[in-house]
Amino acid sequence: MSSKDGTSTTNLAPLSPAVFHILLSLGEGERHGYALKREISLRTGGRLKIGPGVLYGSINKMLELGLIEESDDRPDPHLDDERRRYYRITAYGRKVAQSEAARMRDLVKLAAVRFGVPRHA
Amino acid sequence: MPDQPFSLRLYRWVLNLYPATFRDNYAGLLEREFRDELQESSGTAALCRLWIRLIADLAISVPGQLAREVGQDTRHTVRLWSLRPWHTAFAILALAIGIGASTGVFSVVNALLLRSLPFQDPERLAYLSNFFAPHDSVTQFHEWRQQSSYLADTALFEPFDVNLGGSGESRRAHIVQVSSNFFSVLGTQPLLGRGFTPGDDVDGTGVGTAGRNAVAVIGYGLWQALFGGDPKALGAAVRIDGTPLTVVGIAPPGFDYPGKTVLWKPGAFSRGNNGWEVVARLKPGITWPQARQAFAAEADRLWPDRTPLQKIQSPSRLTELRDQLAGPTKNAWLVLLASVGLILLIACTNVGNLLLARTADRAAELSIRSALGASRARLSQQLLTECVLLALAASLVGVFVALWTTSIAAKVQPAPIASQAYSILDSRVLGFAIAIPVLCGLVFGALPSLFAGRVHMFEARGSSSNRASRLIGEALVAAQVMLAVILLTSSLSVGHAFLQMMRINRGFVPRGLMTVNVSLQGTAHQGAGRSLAYFEEALARVRRLPGVQSASATEFLPLYATGGIGGVFAVDGKPGRASSAVIPVFSDYFQTMGGRIVAGREFTAAEVKGNARVVVVNERFAEQFGSPADALGHQVFREPRKIIGVVNGMDYRNERNDPLDANPRQVFIPSTTPGGFFSTFVARVDGRAEDRLAMIRDAIKSVDPQVPVFGAKTMEQRLDDALARPQFYRTAVSCFAGFALLLAIIGVYGVVSYTVAQRSHEMGVRMALGTTAAGLRVRLLRRGLLTIVAGAVPGVAGAVLCGKFLESLVEGAKPANTASYTGTILSIALIAAAGIWVATRPLARLDIMEVLRTE
Repeated sequence: MSSKDGTSTTNLAPLSPAVFHILLSLGEGERHGYALKREISLRTGGRLKIGPGVLYGSINKMLELGLIEESDDRPDPHLDDERRRYYRITAYGRKVAQSEAARMRDLVKLAAVRFGVPRHA
Repeated sequence: MPDQPFSLRLYRWVLNLYPATFRDNYAGLLEREFRDELQESSGTAALCRLWIRLIADLAISVPGQLAREVGQDTRHTVRLWSLRPWHTAFAILALAIGIGASTGVFSVVNALLLRSLPFQDPERLAYLSNFFAPHDSVTQFHEWRQQSSYLADTALFEPFDVNLGGSGESRRAHIVQVSSNFFSVLGTQPLLGRGFTPGDDVDGTGVGTAGRNAVAVIGYGLWQALFGGDPKALGAAVRIDGTPLTVVGIAPPGFDYPGKTVLWKPGAFSRGNNGWEVVARLKPGITWPQARQAFAAEADRLWPDRTPLQKIQSPSRLTELRDQLAGPTKNAWLVLLASVGLILLIACTNVGNLLLARTADRAAELSIRSALGASRARLSQQLLTECVLLALAASLVGVFVALWTTSIAAKVQPAPIASQAYSILDSRVLGFAIAIPVLCGLVFGALPSLFAGRVHMFEARGSSSNRASRLIGEALVAAQVMLAVILLTSSLSVGHAFLQMMRINRGFVPRGLMTVNVSLQGTAHQGAGRSLAYFEEALARVRRLPGVQSASATEFLPLYATGGIGGVFAVDGKPGRASSAVIPVFSDYFQTMGGRIVAGREFTAAEVKGNARVVVVNERFAEQFGSPADALGHQVFREPRKIIGVVNGMDYRNERNDPLDANPRQVFIPSTTPGGFFSTFVARVDGRAEDRLAMIRDAIKSVDPQVPVFGAKTMEQRLDDALARPQFYRTAVSCFAGFALLLAIIGVYGVVSYTVAQRSHEMGVRMALGTTAAGLRVRLLRRGLLTIVAGAVPGVAGAVLCGKFLESLVEGAKPANTASYTGTILSIALIAAAGIWVATRPLARLDIMEVLRTE
């Protein structure tokens, strides 16, 4: 896919919250959809609850862009439900996530200069 | 857990909202997630929360996925189209003509028959034709209308043309005098000022009397033109034929009933004025059949001495106002709508056929995609997207066709009143224009989609699937042939009516003849004594012009171009039997018109000047006396006038422009004032009449610039105007028939060339085994012709039914005869045979060795 090979990582910026959170979760290891959803909910303190349609819509798009790929490795068959699909982050996905994080960091820096850092932060 | 299986079933159903690919890939996973969530949600409240979250999720994700897949399919379709630009252009053009023409015709039908009239409760308004409501005095009329048992109220109106302005520059204007309750019967309130009140209408003649009767309500357009929309117009004066009227009201914009009226004035009632027309409102609770029955009884009561013949010749009718406005052309438009409907159907089947052939061509691609996991739903979705895109592209082009159709319609058959103007910017027309392409997309998309399903089940290039698609293709071609036969024979029927009209001997020579209207109303020349001098002076000036052979004047031009009057007149002192038209003319009229004197002679200048008691009649009038020569010397009218000449009748058709009654009995009388309201000068010139038009108009104008001179037209232009409408219907139906034939032939060609392409291997093998190329081509030709016959047989049955229907709808239409049917089918078969022969040409060039090698 051209995006993996030639396209700059900044072309995809800004990533949607769902996509960025999925990348964040997969950065830690392979996950199936339901696990991703629960993890994102936990990470955001329940503020971001991704519905199944949005989740798989995002996964579909990320697969096409080459940010993630389906994993053939299955966990222990006793723990696994064969109807689940596992996903893992690609090298390109990692780069895109890094680039997005850098963009956010620059934004936060700029905001701190403009508005100062709140005391409770 | 409450209702778990139901929730699951519901969710499975909801998943169908997602596009096919997404559903194929993720439906199982989504369902799995849902089960997990369902297990975690205990209690009704939790279940409700789950569903609310899911609905929000669907609202976000479904449109996104749809846009994504439709975008992919669109790109794929455009790629396919660019590979076969001619194929695509033909499909789009065929559909565009079908969609555009049907939308255009529907916009007319909508304006005439469906759009609400700009009156209060318009469906309760009636028009009473051939009915003279008691109108000798204003009191008699109002007393009569108040005692009706079935009409809530009745109003009279009489339209006529006047010279508007009076002093300075005057112009011709169409105005109407009305009974004082005219606006209240229609339920229309003036925009400014008031309507008329009882007492505004009076007993009197002409344009009325001074005082309360000398008031007017002016149209919105005239208010803008004369007063620039200034409210101070109320109280100002306008002059009609020199008489001043005070403006008391301004009509609302768009109100111009009856037909293009710019000024309404209260009526002046007088005994013997039979120009009144009647509009009425039905009493609440009275149905239309009840009202018609009561009306017929009343007509019989008012004129007990009418003969059965008179009742047939001019029957009194109570019709819905809308039907009266739509007039006799209503049926013609319905026929056109049916024709364009058939065209659309043929275009749809044709495009369906082309797509089917292409889908079959793409069987290999589809099979591979199917093997790679694309589901039947996915393939159908792709095909359907292609069809809907095709329909959308066609409807974009179709908008222009529709606009063009509407503009032609407005020229040929102008809307009877302003609010019925034809427009495609109408909610009903736009709905039609959107629904039709979508419906078309579904109709011609359905077959290829079904085929896509079959591809999924069969092996690639499976012979059975090819045969199935070929059979469907042939069935579609047969259906097209059937529709083409119906349209072609219908066009022959309608064409017959038109040809009959064209072949009529009009009794005058239009070439080199020109006409100019003048009106002496309200000018210094009004009145019998003064108008003769004006006519003599004007004609003398015209006759002196270079290139003018002869000139004359008349009140009524042929072709009902300037109206007409008539009645049943006494012959030789006995009551007459049939009605005749009366045409006042000046001397040299027949010579100028190019009329043929069959017996006797025409009027001399002295007879005109002396108002001699003589007449010239047409051959049809003379029939009652035997030969034309026998008619000479007989007396016509109660105050007898001697017949001194018989002419070949002129085409003075009736006001309905009915070609069947183009040559009624005619009585020409000499007149020093040919034209009570306005007159027409006629002049025969050398060379092209158009070139002399301005010169003659200026010569007449030079006699007195105060006299409005208008309607300067050649007789050929007037003939075109009179025949434009029937010619349009005929041309339209013939074009549709021709287009249908073309589509059917392309359909046959398409199916045969597809068969040749698909079966070239088989044909090659057959040829290797000894069959000749010519033999194979004949076999294909036979099969193609069988398809034609299969369509032609039900086509003839349909055409017979349509013929009967047309006969009742279009006056003068004759059902097609056996010769027409045979001719139609033979010509379709011949053209199709030529098409098939061309399509099978590749067989003659087939290289057997090449075929066998690839085998």
